[in-house]
Amino acid sequence: MRLKDKVALVTGGSRGIGKAVAQGLAGEGAKVAIIYKGSKEAAEALAGEIISQGGQALALQADVADYNRAKAVVEEVEKALGPVDILVNNAGMIHDDLFVRLEPEQWNQVLQTNLGGTFNFCHAVAFSMLRRRAGRIINVSSVAADYVNPGQTNYSASKGAVNSFTRSLAVELASRGVTVNAVAPGFIETDMSAAVRNKAGDLIKKFIPMRRFGQPEDIAKVVLFLAGPDSSYITGQVITIDGGLSLGAASG
Amino acid sequence: MATKGEIYSKVSATLVEALNVDEGVIQPTSTLQGDLGAESIDFLDIVFRLEREFGIKIPRNELFPEAVFQGDPEFVQNGKVTVKGLEELKEKMPFADLSDFEKNPEVTDFSNLFTVDLITRYIEGKLRAEGKA
Repeated sequence: MRLKDKVALVTGGSRGIGKAVAQGLAGEGAKVAIIYKGSKEAAEALAGEIISQGGQALALQADVADYNRAKAVVEEVEKALGPVDILVNNAGMIHDDLFVRLEPEQWNQVLQTNLGGTFNFCHAVAFSMLRRRAGRIINVSSVAADYVNPGQTNYSASKGAVNSFTRSLAVELASRGVTVNAVAPGFIETDMSAAVRNKAGDLIKKFIPMRRFGQPEDIAKVVLFLAGPDSSYITGQVITIDGGLSLGAASG
Repeated sequence: MATKGEIYSKVSATLVEALNVDEGVIQPTSTLQGDLGAESIDFLDIVFRLEREFGIKIPRNELFPEAVFQGDPEFVQNGKVTVKGLEELKEKMPFADLSDFEKNPEVTDFSNLFTVDLITRYIEGKLRAEGKA
């Protein structure tokens, strides 16, 4: 129970990586706020599961791209569970298309969710964290920030910006004991990557030295480490978790 | 009605919390940055705590004005604040005691104006304007 009574907030917490993170945090004793956009049932079921195992959790609806809603949600969490100690900005979306065909709407939505959502929630918790001289912020980025694919100008740009944002915010908050780090997953078995895995799964595996896709738990374990006391001297880092994909080795 | 001594004690207690320093090291002449180790983010915290402690509103750039000398290239010459610059400073920070600074107004010493005493005088002025001191 490394995180006993800590208050954690996970955006996009109802499924995929966010769900594994929320479960992991609860397993370490944290009180968990699960933020969902559309998956109300999944979020409430997850909160119910955590509560039935003796933990504390609640599910709240928010579009992370909405600044005012993010502020309001954080206030609700503070009232119900206490000030946020651990923020995991996990909510993200893809809207892939070749650049010449990409609509401004697809560009804006992805930037506003992946980058804007990260800003919104960081902004809602940062001042309180620095005043308490403690806090952990973990942003879920992607290997696609640096190892790009065609059709993902919006997604790559958003995740590259999240990495830079992570480093910059880390510098601002470091003297106040708040760490800011990111994890960069490769291909993980989630709903978000299902379409591309179904279409080109075997081909993609040839570029992953471990020859398999990652599981949400592979990411959650690193997030837990970054949320806990063992990582207190790490800040501003982007930790890649991709089975070796980004090493760029040809299939052997 | 708060006396200057009461205001000073509260300011001092606020700085203990905001800067994580021992009360013993705080003197009226202590400079926030040089003596008490305040960083830019700490100034925000100090303002926030003072507002709450004294029930006042501190507009941005009033207590800790930023970029005072950037409004006019004539405010600073050869690293020293000019007469024009000092006038600007008096207008922006009427609560500051400039008597020492004026003797040798090196712009790099500007941050030394921000002392515990300066905050106390600022708060005193604010409260007096509201009839509370």
